[in-house]
Amino acid sequence: MMRHRSGSPSTGSSDEARQAALFAAPALVAIAAVVAFPLVWAVWESLHRHDLRMPWLGRSFVGAANYREAFADPRFWSALGHTFGFTVGTVVLELLIGLALALALNSVRRGAGALRTAALLPWAVPTVVAALVWRFMFESPGGVVNHLLVSSGLVTSPPIWFASPWLAWVPIVLADVWKTTPFMALLLLAGLQGIDPALYQAAALDGAGPVRQMMHITLPLLRPAILAAVIFRSLDAFRVFDVVYVMTRGGPGAATEPLSLYAFSALFRDLRFGYGSAVSVIMFLVSFVLALFWLRAARYQVELS
Amino acid sequence: MTRAWRRLGLAAALLLVGAGLAPIYVALVSSVSPEARIFAAPSLVPTAFVADHYRALFDARDFWLPIRNSLVVSGATTVLAVVAGGLCAYAIVRLRFRGKAFILAMVLAVSMFPQIAIVAPLYLVLRQVGLIDTYPGLVLPYLTFAMPLSIWLLVGFFRQLPLEIEDAALMDGATRFQALRHVVVPLALPGIAATAILTFLYCWNEFLFALSFTLGPERQTVPVAIALFRGQYQVPWGQVLAGAIVATIPVALIVLVAQRRIVQGLTAGAVKG
Amino acid sequence: MPLACVTALFPGASLSRRLATLAAAAAITAGGCGGESSVPMVTISGSSVGREAELLRRQIARFEVDHAPLRVEIRPTPDAADDRHQLYVQWLNARAPIPDVLQLDIVWTAEFAAAGWILDLDRFGGSREDFFPSAIAAASWNGRTYARPWFVDVGMLYWRTDLMAAAPGTFADLDRIAARAVQDGAVPYGLVWQGARYEGLVTVFLEYLSAFGGAILDAHGRVAVDSDAAVRALTEMRTEIASKVVPADVLSWQEEQTRFAFQNGQAAFMRNWPYARTLLGDAHDSAVAGRVGVAPMPAGAGGAASGTLGGSTLAINAHSAHPDRAYALAQYLTDPRQMAERARVVGQFPPRARLYDDPAVEASLGIDPAVARRIVSGAVPRPVTPVYAELSGILQVHLHAVLSGQEEPAAGLRAAASGIRALLERSGLAGTT
Repeated sequence: MMRHRSGSPSTGSSDEARQAALFAAPALVAIAAVVAFPLVWAVWESLHRHDLRMPWLGRSFVGAANYREAFADPRFWSALGHTFGFTVGTVVLELLIGLALALALNSVRRGAGALRTAALLPWAVPTVVAALVWRFMFESPGGVVNHLLVSSGLVTSPPIWFASPWLAWVPIVLADVWKTTPFMALLLLAGLQGIDPALYQAAALDGAGPVRQMMHITLPLLRPAILAAVIFRSLDAFRVFDVVYVMTRGGPGAATEPLSLYAFSALFRDLRFGYGSAVSVIMFLVSFVLALFWLRAARYQVELS
Repeated sequence: MTRAWRRLGLAAALLLVGAGLAPIYVALVSSVSPEARIFAAPSLVPTAFVADHYRALFDARDFWLPIRNSLVVSGATTVLAVVAGGLCAYAIVRLRFRGKAFILAMVLAVSMFPQIAIVAPLYLVLRQVGLIDTYPGLVLPYLTFAMPLSIWLLVGFFRQLPLEIEDAALMDGATRFQALRHVVVPLALPGIAATAILTFLYCWNEFLFALSFTLGPERQTVPVAIALFRGQYQVPWGQVLAGAIVATIPVALIVLVAQRRIVQGLTAGAVKG
Repeated sequence: MPLACVTALFPGASLSRRLATLAAAAAITAGGCGGESSVPMVTISGSSVGREAELLRRQIARFEVDHAPLRVEIRPTPDAADDRHQLYVQWLNARAPIPDVLQLDIVWTAEFAAAGWILDLDRFGGSREDFFPSAIAAASWNGRTYARPWFVDVGMLYWRTDLMAAAPGTFADLDRIAARAVQDGAVPYGLVWQGARYEGLVTVFLEYLSAFGGAILDAHGRVAVDSDAAVRALTEMRTEIASKVVPADVLSWQEEQTRFAFQNGQAAFMRNWPYARTLLGDAHDSAVAGRVGVAPMPAGAGGAASGTLGGSTLAINAHSAHPDRAYALAQYLTDPRQMAERARVVGQFPPRARLYDDPAVEASLGIDPAVARRIVSGAVPRPVTPVYAELSGILQVHLHAVLSGQEEPAAGLRAAASGIRALLERSGLAGTT
């Protein structure tokens, strides 16, 4: 189509570029101001000793000392381990349950809209609310979960979930999975609905049962959606904070403390801004590497198909 | 798909969705149960209803304050993010210039990185200019995720718009801005609505920044207010759950009303991008 | 533009509905925005419940009458000291202008002063002569006063008048009497004190420490908690548990648990703060009402009898917009008259020496005023240092480990001492008092 622009000013690309700069300026300036600038400052801060409780010590440059302290602190490594474990655990669970939910929703004809709305509700609930409700359900001795366990005979005495370093993870993971599975399911559902039904019909004609159809048609064609969902969710899970802070504050002790909470405590409880910034920067770098890894996987995936 | 499979699918869907709604139901029931019975053996249908917790929430705890704060902050952030983000998204989609891919990559990167990384410097800056515990002191940090989200979503929506009408307007002598305002915006209204809704939702649910940058009930948002409920000797679960339900009502309503748009927004950005 | 956005949010909604939504939002926003009120205000923050809260409100009401049109707002804080501390840190670090007046635990003054969070009060004039020197010392940092002592607590020995003729003056006597009471079957426990791993344990240890002539920091500010006197003191505590004079249960007890044990008649002696006195005298709940005496903590070999100094002070927020008003309130509440009333109503010891001659106060002290005055003026303060919280944490860990048998006294105290030395070193405080 011919694009005559008679009557309008000359449309050299420099003109458009100028216009684009004007349009994009507010947003990009805002992002630069509230993201880029603080990020650079955080890195600079991490190279100093800045303890807000002790202003008499000043703010001296200490180079990599904060980073060395972090790497030497077993609690830092525990927090890192918790974060990775949590990420893997929740993403796997969300993927499996989300896939099941997506397949189920896909097969429903009537009431699909209502079911989708109902399925989406946990996702819309604030994370704080999810954490409080699941904490409530797992309270001992009288929480709903313990009542069910005892009355069904599975256990004799109700476990004290939040007093155990291992058991405390159960409600945390469940709360997170409960809240974010709908998001996964929707992404996968969109992917499912993009698959040409003719493929299934052809496979059925060839005698393939539902399981084989799943393995050879659905899953392979769903791979981009799965990858997108996994990338989003894993980067999200890595920075988990809300659900743990509200449910256990990282307790008992530091047994459920993820990296973000470890950094937060250093910053706002101990007021050690230099050290806390170092931990935050480490966290940023790790998630950056993670993102790069995923992007490479995505590009590899694109090359394959 | 055979009927048996479809029935299985329906059963599975009902089961999973039911499991998803169960905790909300538990919270709702407990929030209207007398405090003494909250931890008693649960029954599917409650026998005693009391409004004590809700009343205490709004009388003794002045829950209107956090609700007001959340509305103001989420609303203001949404407006700013959608307007500025819309302008930027339009430029990315319609105008030609170098560095487009870079900007998009940056926007995506910014929305992915951990918030904790910038909490410290933001705190120091806000404290320096006296914006701790103020509305701008929350809106500005909220733009860190609201702006990239808005740009990302609107790029996806704007891309779907046909060029013809816009080009016609341009040929008639309209400036880019006029084309945007009078042609694109009305056409893209559903997408803009979806973006506004999602941005509002994310702002309403935000916790870390609100926790770090507010000090008291005058400016604390709803999530922070209910997370910090303290009773004299033990957690006042009745009120906490009442607060949780109240905090969920606005977003639940939004989801009910705008489910389709939300799904559109979520999937457009993720899968296509 | 706003209308367009509301339109976007509710596609298809009628215009009137959209306007209504806008109006509602505006109303909520406007209604909630209090804005600068024209009434001059002062905000005070602290924790008080029950009778104490009532008393405070009464005194504040009188202050408002005297200083009209000034109004005072009480901003509540959590009861637990640690929670209150964390909240203060959050507020003051953010340079919040309110609350103007803060109730501080006596051991927080140095920390807040050194961080620049509370005002130097010397600039307001105000005499400090009438206050006990130890109370003023605890409220000072670097030679300047940063808080006004409000009330003091001292660790005291509660004893059963029906089991012995008089309170023991030395730990040797105490152990003897307690052991005999347990042997005779009169009580299951000889002596109970707070042994859980928290600040209370440090206050108890400090009493034994001073009784044996030791100190946490010596006169020059050097760490002395690994001295021979300290080892003797800690060994004494451990022996008391080993010989069953003190039950091992105390290792998880705080103030209330010890009070319950003594109140139910299960112990011959209890170490606790003055607050327990009125509760023990209440015949409704207390099994030992009328059979309780209060005395100073006993002395050990080589030291003097001494209780640990506790209590609260009032400080002024460094970023308060109205320090003068704040000081007026703080001064009023720490006036002799208000302090006397507090002693009468709540039973808390005043930090002003002259009040111990006041006959009205005498009755509410529960012990001979001359004795009370001696106890308070001789009370041992905990180290006045900005890093006290961390110091106490280190000490708590090792004290508890020794008492529960996981460490030997000498080794535990040595580890604590070296930890404290490292703390002072890296905080740039080594060698300061």
